[in-house]
Amino acid sequence: MVAIRETVQTVGEVEKYKYGFSTDIESDKAPLGLTEDTVRFISAKKNEPEWMLEWRLEAYRRWLTMEEPTWAKVEYPKIDFQDAYYYAAPKQTVAPKSLDEIDPKLLETYKKLGIPLIEQQMLAGIAVDAVFDSVSVVTTFKEKLKEVGVIFCPLSEAVRDHPDLVRKYLGSVVPTSDNFYATLNAAVFSEGSFVYIPEGVRCPMELSTYFRINERQTGQFERTLIIADKGSYVSYLEGCTAPQRDENQLHAAVVELVAHDDAEIKYSTVQNWYPGDEDGKGGIYNFVTKRGDCRGVNSKISWTQVETGSAITWKYPSCILRGDNSRGEFYSIAISNGHQQVDSGTKMIHLGKNTSSRIISKGISAGKSSNTYRGLVGVHRKAENVRNFTQCDSLLIGSHCSAHTVPYIESKNPGAILEHEATTSKISDEQLFYCRQRGMDEEEAVALIVNGFCRDVLQQLPMEFAVEAQKLVGISLEGSVG
Amino acid sequence: MTGAAKTLVENFERERKTLPGASGWLDVSRAKALAAFAEAGLPHRRVEEWKYTDLRRLLDDVSLTTAPDHLGPVDLPATAFEAMDCYKLVLVNGRFRADLSSLAKLPKGVELHPLANVLSEQWAKKLIDRQSDHDGATRIIDLNTALMRDGMALRIRKGVRLDKPLHLVFLAADDGGAHARHLVELEEGASATIFQSHLAAGASSYFVDQVSDIHLGADARLEMVRLVDEGAKSFHLSSLRAELEAGADFGCFTLTMGGQMQRQQSFVRFNGEGAVARVNGASALRGRQMADTFCHTDHAVPACASDTLYRTVLDGSATGTFQGKVVVQPDAQKTDGRQMTNALLLSREASMNAKPELEIYADDVQCAHGSTIGELNKDAIFYLRARGLNERDARRLLVTAFLDEALDRIAHDGARDALRAVVANWFSAEGAAT
Repeated sequence: MVAIRETVQTVGEVEKYKYGFSTDIESDKAPLGLTEDTVRFISAKKNEPEWMLEWRLEAYRRWLTMEEPTWAKVEYPKIDFQDAYYYAAPKQTVAPKSLDEIDPKLLETYKKLGIPLIEQQMLAGIAVDAVFDSVSVVTTFKEKLKEVGVIFCPLSEAVRDHPDLVRKYLGSVVPTSDNFYATLNAAVFSEGSFVYIPEGVRCPMELSTYFRINERQTGQFERTLIIADKGSYVSYLEGCTAPQRDENQLHAAVVELVAHDDAEIKYSTVQNWYPGDEDGKGGIYNFVTKRGDCRGVNSKISWTQVETGSAITWKYPSCILRGDNSRGEFYSIAISNGHQQVDSGTKMIHLGKNTSSRIISKGISAGKSSNTYRGLVGVHRKAENVRNFTQCDSLLIGSHCSAHTVPYIESKNPGAILEHEATTSKISDEQLFYCRQRGMDEEEAVALIVNGFCRDVLQQLPMEFAVEAQKLVGISLEGSVG
Repeated sequence: MTGAAKTLVENFERERKTLPGASGWLDVSRAKALAAFAEAGLPHRRVEEWKYTDLRRLLDDVSLTTAPDHLGPVDLPATAFEAMDCYKLVLVNGRFRADLSSLAKLPKGVELHPLANVLSEQWAKKLIDRQSDHDGATRIIDLNTALMRDGMALRIRKGVRLDKPLHLVFLAADDGGAHARHLVELEEGASATIFQSHLAAGASSYFVDQVSDIHLGADARLEMVRLVDEGAKSFHLSSLRAELEAGADFGCFTLTMGGQMQRQQSFVRFNGEGAVARVNGASALRGRQMADTFCHTDHAVPACASDTLYRTVLDGSATGTFQGKVVVQPDAQKTDGRQMTNALLLSREASMNAKPELEIYADDVQCAHGSTIGELNKDAIFYLRARGLNERDARRLLVTAFLDEALDRIAHDGARDALRAVVANWFSAEGAAT
């Protein structure tokens, strides 16, 4: 009940988008637009080896030949890819050696965002990699993690320090040719986290990356690579915010997960990019490719996402269930309000025997928003004893929003048992009446009911995030009633 | 343009002068439709609505040159609905055969004609020219508009009830393409039951392309029961467009059995409040059969109800596809939309694709869809075997029960029994084949 009370409180207290401020900090940018030189510029900035540059250039050349996908149920004016900066970094002459050397303005920013980077102040048990525009500001608890052999560092650092691992895994789950935005990302990605959990290690703390877009007119293209070696376990959290601006900014990320035999990766996202104002002006275009590869037997990958921000979300965290007995899970809450457009869902590709997957998707649309679940469950001919359960529920608040469900179910094996169910409904008058009768105002009542609607998914989040997410649910729906 | 599309365009150029309505408004519509068809070509996998059925490739396998006017005697195969007393309208190769039909003593207020006879009438023009949203699925209707040669035109006046079911028999006697158009106009309060049988009677490689344009006036009631049992090397393409005024009641059941490849599309649109549509079906496929069902329901106005159940049984290396879409337009409050599809895979090579979609723009609605794909429950088989049934009988019993749940939705008792018998025969054929 405490959490519920808090939600109700926050709904009352918090302003519309509390992360909408921007930090006035001098930054170092790549020239406007995207050419081969931009790619070289980024690569040079990151001191990358030759092979990495080649990899990027190959992706860039391929990207030039590709077309933007148009199948998603989202509408937006054509993006001018030449009218954006592909690299922006807070100016810092020397790389900081410790937290004391970091620009205090940056520390202040993260403090305002509720992500204190001073280790003593942090919630024990969470290591954070803070990414500001195109660079990683700081990674905490690195040393402590090193003791158990866990590598947790910015990807650019990993390219330098662990080239063998990066070369082996980068692009092995989401190839550079995968889709338009993934290819763009491969060419210009600037930052992201790299995680390697060695064999048999249970990562002693939650790992987390916090993404912040600050600079105007920039895109953020991060790339995350997580490898869980045999028998290991890791839980990884991702959070994102951006300043309130009337322009649309592009965020095209790629996340690759690899789980070897008996390994488990739990990946949670609380996405709260700036969603645009009430008239739909501004906001982030969140075009993300996330995919996990259950490469080993008995491996497990679980995606949990709370999507509340972004003007447009285009995101399908997927699992390739290659190893026998592997398991994929997808828990999602997608909330859209105002003029937001969400087209999100998952893909579960069953290739191995005895693989199972579970999809729980809760879509809530309010205001004039549109919210689409798009998912694929595919069963390969050789995948015996596959089990899938999918549940997609949509909740509509107000008569100008829309909710869509587009599931694809393809089975080539008779032993597969696939179930899909979806419902669409609104908050019933009886429920509202009941809450109002007990003294809640309408907005509080809606937040409470929606939290109940999402509970299946909220429960999957790590504790620290669950509280935050629950608050977000309330805030995102602010102004949707009445 | 691919070979198949080219053949179809050539058919039109050759036959244009001899098609019915060649001198009137229809000729203009036909030319326009053909131009649109020629431009778009045949749908293929990259057209989302045809993701699982590549017409461009599949039509290469059947004969598309227009089938000749079959004047000689035809071996009328026994149809499932034979035992019932019906009016009968027979089309051979898509053309009306008066000698085989029995249309005597129709009640007053019922007009039943071959298509060519009504083309000068306004109501027919209105139905044919009706523009549906030109999307990936409905675009193929252009082909029919260009090439349609004959069909059934039924108009029932206000408040009149068709006293006996009308049985529309569609026979393929010769190889080639047959393009038929059926028009059904039920005025306010009218009611009718229509059975349809699609059978092969001598043809081996052929293409059936039929479009049914249906309009139900306020409180009108139409019950359709269709049996599609085409020949082994055929492609059956049918599109049904129904518009329902306030309080109308539309029921349609399709049982798909024979035939190499089929694509059945239905588009139901509610124009008036309080209307109900029940679009159901079942299919039992084996060998290399393919059946693709596309089911689109458009709730354009408030307070209508739609309910869909499709059951598919797949044996051999058959492929089944169900694509459904329920659209609830803005302000179509109090909509009740239901859609369910279940499939049973009986063999290792069979495969099933399902894509049940919801697209909802109103909040005070109840919409649900569900989809399951699986095999026969082993425990259930064990239970039956423990009670003395052999494996084959146990499986047969379970499959029959599975299909029966769909067949139960046929409102007409006689037709329901008739189709049950057809399903039972499907198993005998299995015995013969193995």
